[in-house]
Amino acid sequence: MYVFQCPNSIDGILSGVYDAWASRYGHKNIQLSSDESGELTLFSEYIPVTADFEKSQKVSRTLIRRLGVKFYETICATAMSDGSCRKLTMDKANAIYQTIVMALSLPDGAKVLEYLGEPCIACIFELRRQTYNEGHHLLEFLRFTELENGILFAQIHPKNAVLPILASHFTNRLPLENFMIYDAPHQTAAVHKASKDYMIVDASSINLSAIQSLSADEEHFRNLWRAFFETIAIPERQNLKLQIQNIPKRFWADTVELRDRL
Amino acid sequence: MHPLSTNANCSPATRLSPTILDKLTILTAAAKYDVACTSSGVDRKGDGAGIGNTMSCGICHSFAADGRCISLLKILYTNECIFNCAYCQNNRNADVPRATFTPEEICTLTIEFYRRNYIEGLFLSSGIIKSPDFTMDLIYQTLYRLRTVYRFQGYIHVKAIPGADPILIEKAGFLADRMSVNLELPTSDALRKLAPCKSRKTILEPMRQIQNGITQNKNELTLYRHTPQFVPAGQSTQMIIGATPENDFQIMSVAENLYQKFGLKRVFYSAFVNVNHNADLPALPGGPPLLREHRLYQADWLLRYYGFTVTELLSEDKPNFNIYLDPKCDWALRHLEFFPVEIHTADYQTLLRVPGIGAKSAGRIIKARRGCKLNFADLKKIGVVLKRALYFITCNGRMMYPTKLEEDYICRNLLSDRSQIPRELREEGYRQLSLFDDVNFGGDSNVCIPMPKQY
Ligand code: SF4
Repeated sequence: MYVFQCPNSIDGILSGVYDAWASRYGHKNIQLSSDESGELTLFSEYIPVTADFEKSQKVSRTLIRRLGVKFYETICATAMSDGSCRKLTMDKANAIYQTIVMALSLPDGAKVLEYLGEPCIACIFELRRQTYNEGHHLLEFLRFTELENGILFAQIHPKNAVLPILASHFTNRLPLENFMIYDAPHQTAAVHKASKDYMIVDASSINLSAIQSLSADEEHFRNLWRAFFETIAIPERQNLKLQIQNIPKRFWADTVELRDRL
Repeated sequence: MHPLSTNANCSPATRLSPTILDKLTILTAAAKYDVACTSSGVDRKGDGAGIGNTMSCGICHSFAADGRCISLLKILYTNECIFNCAYCQNNRNADVPRATFTPEEICTLTIEFYRRNYIEGLFLSSGIIKSPDFTMDLIYQTLYRLRTVYRFQGYIHVKAIPGADPILIEKAGFLADRMSVNLELPTSDALRKLAPCKSRKTILEPMRQIQNGITQNKNELTLYRHTPQFVPAGQSTQMIIGATPENDFQIMSVAENLYQKFGLKRVFYSAFVNVNHNADLPALPGGPPLLREHRLYQADWLLRYYGFTVTELLSEDKPNFNIYLDPKCDWALRHLEFFPVEIHTADYQTLLRVPGIGAKSAGRIIKARRGCKLNFADLKKIGVVLKRALYFITCNGRMMYPTKLEEDYICRNLLSDRSQIPRELREEGYRQLSLFDDVNFGGDSNVCIPMPKQY
């Protein structure tokens, strides 16, 4: 068995798909792994993959041309997930590879995504769901803070690498604002300048002291929001369990209205 | 500061009067019993020159201590109301603090909350100040300012004030995404008793007008693509549940009628809370009838998405839902002749009627079974709730366990499944169930606890 060890990113995994395909070892003898710390097994040969933008672009173009944009988006969302779903028996990079191999071998390949009886498809289905769910949660629960310089700043702590989902949403929603969304665990940020497209940048050396100076109005609007939040609840219907079920506690620290309740 | 703020030399905060916090608190408290807070039904991209867009799935931004979604800035324009609806905390005789916003204040709050991603948009309702026309005009002025001066392209839900000039309602409708008029109470009798200043006529007229506006606008849109859109997310309404003695059959028949004859998008049900401690209205110590409200929402779902009709679910002889079972299980138990259905051959509509199979999983089954034979483990992955479905399906000709297709047997098993009562109502719910026993639930005098509402 040949195991291609990919960096855990979209480019890393798609580069792995490219290398595996080009290796001609035969699909049956190939596995991909995105878990660099994973246990090694005897009788397998390990081949390290480096993330290569050009290889990943080539694979992307092929997927879009042969299998359509939807299929490609599903693969990306799977690659963005943290792959830690307990129900899964397969590494996400391997599931992606197996799915692509299967899809390209069929005349109407994009249809394979509906075959949930296949283990690799079930895996993709679950991981994509995870990414989209968390992405949607953060469209809801992300909060911007207005800084002294007028920039809107948000900090998030997602499990999956959902920044592109958020960035494209807010670019359309707030076209005239300068904003930045900082994904702390993944050390990346989405940066948007008024009337421009967004960029995803490496934020491992970001200076967080600038975000301490808030605009003059910021506290005022936070107070108004907290007052609204407190008042809108109906006391006769109080139901804290339902509240936690709907907005899980891990999101509270990054909100304005619930962080003091933790 | 938002780049489109008009008054560039003073900050948004200082443009608000010092009492803005008080006003917001008063007019939020006055609006909170309106249950609708969804921002769904319309997909609109931003045009790049303003602020905002909408997503048809709707976005909730937070959840209040009652567990309900906060999507829109839900406020009244004013609670200085000249009417005297008995169930409403803002009626002219109630002893509550009063306040009235200005259009500019509402615009500033909406924009500043929206930029910070607190809200999806505005839900503006109002008590009647001076007259219905005067009130509707203020609402229109506010929306006009928000849409044109601030170029706000997020979601707006607005109430049409019963009795207001149809021209004002129409003008507001061209600026809003959703419009609603609350039916308030299921029968005109109840309305006459509890809301003497309103009548079925003043409520149904604007409702019909909005429906006609939507239809006419659709026709114009097919002719001229750039015609402005009239309430693109459709019309909704709300009924208060438990303030008056109507049974579920009456309530659901009214809802079905509204969907079919008035083209409504949503009917909301609001468990009554007796805020005014009005002695003529029911008061029960057990809390609002939340479980009954929940069953009505489930049944509403069956009407809108599952192809059921009210007469299949209820009848004169059985006018109320079984509070212990969800309405779909209840229906299936009384129609065992339909079952079991075979997963690999049943059509979509048939799958939809199986307890434990929702619209999504039915769709997935249809697609997945083309690729390969499915087994029970696959069904689970697809999202089928097997502990409910197993009595009603076969997979490759076999049932999951040997079970009897017998009403009592299945009913007992379904009832032992705690998820029949939603998790969040379970603890509360048991308290309520014993309560319902006491008041002989199923008779025509459901004593429940009311909830007040504005339009
Ligand atoms: S329901 Fe509306 S009209 Fe009736 S009293 Fe309340 S605010 Fe006034």
